[in-house]
Amino acid sequence: MDFKHYLQVLKENTPYDFSNYSDNSIKRRLQKVIADNDLTIDELLEKTQNDKGFIERLVEDITVNTTELFRDPELWPAFYEKLLPMLKGKKTFNIWHAGCSSGMEVYSNMILLNELGLLDKARIFATDISANMVRQCKNGNYRYGFNKRQLTDFKAVLRKYPLNGITAIDFSKYFEIDEASDRITVKEFLRDKVDVRQHDLVQSNPPFYHKFDVIFCRNVLIYFNANLQSKVYQMFHKQLYPKGAMILGNHESLTGFYNTKFNKNGPVYTKSNSFHFKYH
Amino acid sequence: MVKGAYKAVVIGGSAGSFSVVSKLLSQLREDFPLPVIICLHRLKHVRSGLVESIRLKSKLEVIEPNDKEPIKGGKVYLAPSNYHMFIEYDGTFSLSTEEPLNHSRPSIDHTLSSAAYVYRNKLIGIVLTGANKDGAKGMKDIADKRGHTIIQDPKTCEMDTMPKSVAKLIKPNEVLTPEGIVKFLNQLAL
Repeated sequence: MDFKHYLQVLKENTPYDFSNYSDNSIKRRLQKVIADNDLTIDELLEKTQNDKGFIERLVEDITVNTTELFRDPELWPAFYEKLLPMLKGKKTFNIWHAGCSSGMEVYSNMILLNELGLLDKARIFATDISANMVRQCKNGNYRYGFNKRQLTDFKAVLRKYPLNGITAIDFSKYFEIDEASDRITVKEFLRDKVDVRQHDLVQSNPPFYHKFDVIFCRNVLIYFNANLQSKVYQMFHKQLYPKGAMILGNHESLTGFYNTKFNKNGPVYTKSNSFHFKYH
Repeated sequence: MVKGAYKAVVIGGSAGSFSVVSKLLSQLREDFPLPVIICLHRLKHVRSGLVESIRLKSKLEVIEPNDKEPIKGGKVYLAPSNYHMFIEYDGTFSLSTEEPLNHSRPSIDHTLSSAAYVYRNKLIGIVLTGANKDGAKGMKDIADKRGHTIIQDPKTCEMDTMPKSVAKLIKPNEVLTPEGIVKFLNQLAL
């Protein structure tokens, strides 16, 4: 299949534009969708033009929705070591989880903010391209078995690297756990606090008028080509307050022009105020 | 062998192949000019210090690459924990957190197959000791592109499922002991 042609058809018939995703990854994802749905190319084209439900599932399947509670457990104390001084000095602050998937990282972060006594000051926003992921993020209902290990691992990390003096978290404050049906549900006070919206990072306009103190965007931009990455970094840069922070995945790095517009501070990128003469 | 016949070496193995990889890297000559791209299964939930341990042994610099990092000769690249690692046509790595393949992330098949499409007959593919069949399909892709295929001699493997699965799909160009692999790589006219 000529996948570039297909992406063009998708772009012309739906709100979704994957043409600036990196070639190999989008090709791989499309091949998987075609194989999983047992479709011919003609059927795929027909459904793309006429079947809205199919398109929503396609978007969910094309995008990678790997997430877990306290993913990369040892990094969270490191994030907050860098973020705390800035956040503590604010009356209120805004956090955006861009590409939030089913929301496990959003709730992990909110739990830490609550433990640090900062949740009341926080306004939390989360966006994802997939309508189904937005629903899952709002519901905060996950498989328990899948997350049990993550919670145990995070407890071990806290014992070793206390977070601002916190060495243990009582997770029963935050989750209803139903072992028999293998479900873990985020409690209402957290679910009610997060504003979840459907938004595609390919659209260069952010869905907010206000600015942010912290933007989490972890393992999302790795699926984009360098050109689109640069546009998204530009948007994040614009949406951050001075000294605002951007947090990327473990093995993502800023390259190119926007590398000069942020200061790397451990795992956290801080919006730079310095004047970059050569670029103006 | 023709000079410049190869552009990269790609190696797959499971967690148990650590000691073989250490041995290879400690004995590989210091001026080895090709990129050595390694995908090992690792224990996801353990901060294993794998890269640190391999660094201690290796004469070449060992890197866990970032997404879109350029691939350079004379360096050792290790697939980072919990990411798939692919080789792209523009000579860079790309990383992905999509679903595990063969129960593995990183998956050896993903790394080997993507390398086969990029380096074609200028690639050396090596599969070491391992307990599942991940890597077999990747080695077939390398063989299909006329790359050079090597498996660790199953007699020298703690777990021989991985090299044997390769041998079921293709006839490898070489079946070598760890010492034999070192010798082969060091004698390449590069």
